[in-house]
Amino acid sequence: MSELALIIEDDEDLANIFAEALRGVGFEVEHVADGKIAQERLKSGSAPFLVLLDMHLPHVSGGQLLTQIKQDERFANTMVIITTADARMGEAYVNQADFVLIKPISFVQLRDLTSRLKPKDQS
Amino acid sequence: MKMLFERFMAISTADPDDTRRRRILNILLVSIGILSLLALAASLAAIFLEVQRWENVKLLIIGSIVTVLGMLIIYLINIFWSGRVAATIFLVFLTLVFAFGDTPEQVSDGRSLFAFAIPIIMASILLAPWLSFVFGTMSGVIVSVIAVSIDRVPNIPAIAGFFVIALVSWLSAGNLEQALKELRDINLNLDKVVVERTQALAESLARERIEAGRNQAILNSIADGVIVFDRNWNAILANPAVRSMLEISRDQVAGKNFRELIQQPGLSPHGRDLLYAMMEHETQPPSFRIEWNGKTLSVSAAQVYDMRNDINVNIGTVAVFRDFTREAELEKLKSTFVAIVSHELRTPLNAILGYSEMFKETVYGPMNEKQVNMADRIMKNTKRLLGLINDLLDQAQMEAGKLTIQMGPVKPAELLETLHGLMDKTAADKNLTLTSEIDPNLPDTINGDAARLQQILVNLVNNAVKFTEQGSIRVRLWRPKENKWGIVISDTGDGIPPSEIPYIFETFRQVDGAATRLHGGFGLGLSIVKQLVHMMNGEIEVESVLGEGSTFMITLPLVIPEKVAVRRS
Repeated sequence: MSELALIIEDDEDLANIFAEALRGVGFEVEHVADGKIAQERLKSGSAPFLVLLDMHLPHVSGGQLLTQIKQDERFANTMVIITTADARMGEAYVNQADFVLIKPISFVQLRDLTSRLKPKDQS
Repeated sequence: MKMLFERFMAISTADPDDTRRRRILNILLVSIGILSLLALAASLAAIFLEVQRWENVKLLIIGSIVTVLGMLIIYLINIFWSGRVAATIFLVFLTLVFAFGDTPEQVSDGRSLFAFAIPIIMASILLAPWLSFVFGTMSGVIVSVIAVSIDRVPNIPAIAGFFVIALVSWLSAGNLEQALKELRDINLNLDKVVVERTQALAESLARERIEAGRNQAILNSIADGVIVFDRNWNAILANPAVRSMLEISRDQVAGKNFRELIQQPGLSPHGRDLLYAMMEHETQPPSFRIEWNGKTLSVSAAQVYDMRNDINVNIGTVAVFRDFTREAELEKLKSTFVAIVSHELRTPLNAILGYSEMFKETVYGPMNEKQVNMADRIMKNTKRLLGLINDLLDQAQMEAGKLTIQMGPVKPAELLETLHGLMDKTAADKNLTLTSEIDPNLPDTINGDAARLQQILVNLVNNAVKFTEQGSIRVRLWRPKENKWGIVISDTGDGIPPSEIPYIFETFRQVDGAATRLHGGFGLGLSIVKQLVHMMNGEIEVESVLGEGSTFMITLPLVIPEKVAVRRS
């Protein structure tokens, strides 16, 4: 069974590229494009291994979602990678997230990073 | 009566000495004339009353009439012709009267001798000082001739006395004239000075009035609002523009203290704080903005100093208000527009970048070499476009004053490491080498804005790569002084013509159009670098030799963070 990666990103193309990179590494990918829907999703359902979180989202901001993740014990083992175009905003969250990636995010960069994070298959 | 007398005696000549002499002569003539008339009247009365007989007073009557007529003639000559002629005739007449008015014995050696002193003294007063000697001599001759005619020896001591009298008269009259002349000169000078001073005063008053009128006209017609305050912030002057801008009446501002004025409800609390700060500080901020009745006003204040006597005395403040509402709205619109456009432009570009990278990485199956190469070129061009958008955004933020420097601990070695990570490939693509070194004197950790320093390094190296066709680019971080650190970036490129150096930091400027086409990009990078350096209180300089290369030198204040030791442990 492969690990779940939750992509919270409002831009469909970027979400697509990220998903492709993560799938390439072997993640099972789930995508949410709206902050409010993401909020609901995080309340129930299985805890992902990894969350790729955009800071700039409709309805509910990435910052709020980050707080929600950090407060929920179910996500204690969940890794959070923040993606943002604003270097300043990225710096502000550097201590709360596991990684901060500044857009433009290279396909190769994301693929290599997540492949290192993913636990080696037992098989 | 007095006026009539004045008129009767009046003499008008240009020479004040002549006038004075003729007036004295007039007084003498009139006095003698009146005396003679009195004598005539007395004689006639005596005959009429039969006190005296005609024979006894005949001589007196004839003498009186002759004297009156003589005086009248001399008076007319004195008034209408010449004072000198009149005085000469008068004095000769007087001398002759004294010479023949008594017995020869009395004249040559007796009581009449003293009478000759009168014309001698008068000559010095009525004619000229030295003429006393002439009359002295004349009297001496007359007295001697009369003495000889009656077979007597001339009275030598009396004649010597005439000369002594002449001498004394000469001296005193000469001195008197000299004193009068000096007095006249002094008065004349004084008059001249008074005239000059009066004229100067009138001129300066007129000038001041013109100046004041002109200043008032300028103040009235100026579009900026101006209030002039005295030392205690009481308004002493406010132009019409400021009254309409602040929506206050003349009475609300004239003579009122500024603290009172800014209690208006239309002023934002923040604006009020800023204005209080303006009043409390000696040195003024360049300018600041306040919200007043829904308007945005830019306020700048300048202290007014009285520079006279080389002592600068603060005599008040001039505050200038400018309606900035429209500019502020435009600025806000512009920065919103830039932010939206940047975001909207960047999002699809990020997607293009990602997709082309996926092609290049053959995510969807193998591609031939040409296809991979094309994907690579799409990526590079997209990156360039993204870089340009970032520059534009930075420039817009700087213009809006929104880009700020955030200081924190920075490791110079990490700056260079990241620089190599970002730029090595760019340099290698043009067969250029990128080398870097760190001065051992530079601390491991310094205070600075890591992101902005990185941006400066990337921009300058990018610029160097753009304009260098072969050779190398060297980056050096060093410590030129105890309290300074610096960045030096040298290339082996074409160099910059000296005439262009002053302009290379201007927005959208490159040395020539051809270079722009060849190297691509806009002249925003260097402009941003310069602005960032200035925001960090640093300096940037360029040295360039055509055909040999250029060197950009940045000097920044060196601050070592306090917590370095803690972080290390």
